[in-house]
Amino acid sequence: MSNVDLLGRRKFIAGLGAAAGAAMVAPAMAVSEKADGVKWDKEVEIVIIGSGFAGLAAGIEATKLGAKDVHIFEKMSYFGGNSAINGGLFAAPGTPMQSKEGVKDSVDRMVADQMAAGRGIADEALLRHVAEHAMEALQMTFDAGSEYHPYLQQLGGHSVARTYQTTVSCGAGITQPLLHKCRELGVHTHNRSKFEGFLIGDNGEVLGVKMRDNYHFDEDQPGKVINIRAKRGVIMATGGFAQNVNLRMAQDPTLTSEVGCTNAPGATGEGMYEMFRLGAVPVHLAHIQSGPWASPDEGGFGYVSNYSIYNFPHSIAINRLTGKRFMNEIADRKTRADAELACRDEQGNALPPILITSYKDSKKHPNTKKVIKYNVGWKFDSIEELASHFKVPTKALKTQIEEYNQYVKSGEDTQFGKNMTKAKDKYIEAPFTVVRLWPKVHYCQGGVQITTKAEVKDSFTGNPIAGLYAAGEVCGGIHGVSRLGSCSIPECMVMGMTAARSMMKV
Amino acid sequence: MNTLKMMLALGLLCLSSATVQAVEIRDHHQEVIGKDCKACHDNGIKQFPSDQACQQCHDVDELAETTARSEEDKWQNPHNNLHYGKELPCQECHGEHKAKEPICSDCHTFKYDKHKK
Repeated sequence: MSNVDLLGRRKFIAGLGAAAGAAMVAPAMAVSEKADGVKWDKEVEIVIIGSGFAGLAAGIEATKLGAKDVHIFEKMSYFGGNSAINGGLFAAPGTPMQSKEGVKDSVDRMVADQMAAGRGIADEALLRHVAEHAMEALQMTFDAGSEYHPYLQQLGGHSVARTYQTTVSCGAGITQPLLHKCRELGVHTHNRSKFEGFLIGDNGEVLGVKMRDNYHFDEDQPGKVINIRAKRGVIMATGGFAQNVNLRMAQDPTLTSEVGCTNAPGATGEGMYEMFRLGAVPVHLAHIQSGPWASPDEGGFGYVSNYSIYNFPHSIAINRLTGKRFMNEIADRKTRADAELACRDEQGNALPPILITSYKDSKKHPNTKKVIKYNVGWKFDSIEELASHFKVPTKALKTQIEEYNQYVKSGEDTQFGKNMTKAKDKYIEAPFTVVRLWPKVHYCQGGVQITTKAEVKDSFTGNPIAGLYAAGEVCGGIHGVSRLGSCSIPECMVMGMTAARSMMKV
Repeated sequence: MNTLKMMLALGLLCLSSATVQAVEIRDHHQEVIGKDCKACHDNGIKQFPSDQACQQCHDVDELAETTARSEEDKWQNPHNNLHYGKELPCQECHGEHKAKEPICSDCHTFKYDKHKK
C-alpha cells in the first residue's frame, strides 16, 4: 500500500472519531511532513491555495509572466472565498477618476492615512509597496472586465476620496471577472480541495502540499489526500480566521460566538496556523477588526453594510438613549466600532444606535431600495415618526439635527471633528432613511509576516522560507491596529501579483 | 410531518432506509432513481455525489430560467447569482438526505418560497 493510501485511511479514521464526539465545524488539523520518500501524485509549476483576490491575481500575473502550469486550489465548493462577498471597495492613489474629479492624492498620502489608523504599529514598507502598485492591480481588474460606479467614495479614516466600488457593490464584481480571466489564460482551478499540510525538503524548504480531494466543508466524508509537487513554490492566499470562534477568542476573548461575522464560512485559518507550525512569524493576531457599518437585522455583510459605508459621510449616527450623536461618522473602523458597542440602555444591554440619512441623498446608492424592501432599513416622513419608532427622545434629536445642519453649512463639525467635504449641501431633512448599526467581526489584521516580495519569513533565521509565499489577509502586520476600508483589495491583489513576480524571477 | 421525516433522515443517514428518505423529499426522484443509490453517488456510496451528478438530469441554464427574477432583483437568482454565477454546486442548497437552507440566507432576508430543501 502506498503512503498516500495509508495517509488517506488514517485521516478517514480520525475523521470518524471527530464526527462521533465533537461538533463537525472544527476544521481537520493540517500537519506538514518531510517529503522524503513521498510518492508525488502530481507535479505542477505553481500551487496557489485560495481563490480570492490574492490567489486569482497571482494566477493571472504568473501566467502573464510565462508560467505554463498554474493551479488554484479552493477548499469550498465555490470559488472566490471571502472576496466574493465583501463590499467590492478598492482604494488607490493617482487613479483616472481622481484626476477627473480633481482629487489631489499620492502614495505618501495614502500611506500616511493608513499609518494613522495603524496606530504606530503598521508596516510602512509593505503599505508603501501596496500603494505604489495599487493602480496596476486596479488596471488588472479593468482588463478583466470589472465595472465600477462612476463616482469616488471617501471612506472612514481616508483624508481624500480615493475609493472605487464595483457596480454590483460587491467583491464578486472583481472575483468573477478574475476567475474567468484565469480560466481563459489556462490557469487550472480546483474546488473542494482542502490544504492538509506542506511537504518539506531537507533544508526546511517547501516542496509541495498535501491536498484533500472531493472535500465537503462541514461534512464528514473521507475524500482522498494527494501529494502535489510545486516546482516554483506555493502561494498561500487562504484569508483570515474570522469564522473560527476558537481561534479568534484565543486572541480576543470578547469575540464570542454571539458576535456576528461578515466573512464567508471558509475563513477558518488553518492555512495560517500551518505556516506558524512551519516556522512563520505570527504578527498582530489579536488585532481583529469589527465592521461598524453592519446591521443586527440581517446576517453577514448583507445589504446594510454597503448602504451605510456610502451614506456615513452625509448622515448622523444617533445614540437612541440620548438622541445625540456619539461619534465622528467617518472615523476609522475601530474608533466607530468601539463607540457603537458603548451604546447601551440603562441596564447595560446592547442598544444598537441608528444611522439617519436624508432619503434624497441615500437613494443615490443602489442598496437603499433593497434595504427598505427587505426590511433591514426603514423610511420615515418626519422626525416624530422616526423618534417614536426607535424610542428616541424627540426634542433632543431635533436639537441635534439642527445643530448638525449648522456644521453642514459652515463646513466644520465642532462636535466630533468630522471631515465635512462629502457632506457639503447635504442637510439632514425629511424624508429620512434609517438603519440600525452593530459591529460584526470583519477582518483579521494579524497573520504571517512577509517581505515586500511576498516571501514568508522564518521566526528564527529571519530569512524567507524557501518555496513559500503568502498574500492577502493571511499575512499580518501590514495594517497595524486597524485596517482602513477599501485597502484590503489592493493589498490582496498587489501581494498576489508580487508573489507571482517573485516566483517567476527564481 | 415533513420536518419529522427530514429529522429521521438525518439520524438514519448510515442505514439503508436513507435511500427511501432520499427519494421521498423530491418524489419525482422516486421514478428516476428508484433504489439505485449509484444513480447519484457517482463517487462511490460512501462519498457525496460529485458536483456534476445532479446535472446528468438537470440543466443549470434551464434552472436559472425557471428561478429568474425581475431586472431589479436579477442577482437574487440562486441558479445564477451575483457572487458565484451559475457555478454554485446544487449540494450547497439542496440535500437529498438532510434539509438545507439556501446559502443566500446566511446574509440576506430574501424569500425562496418554492425552495425544496
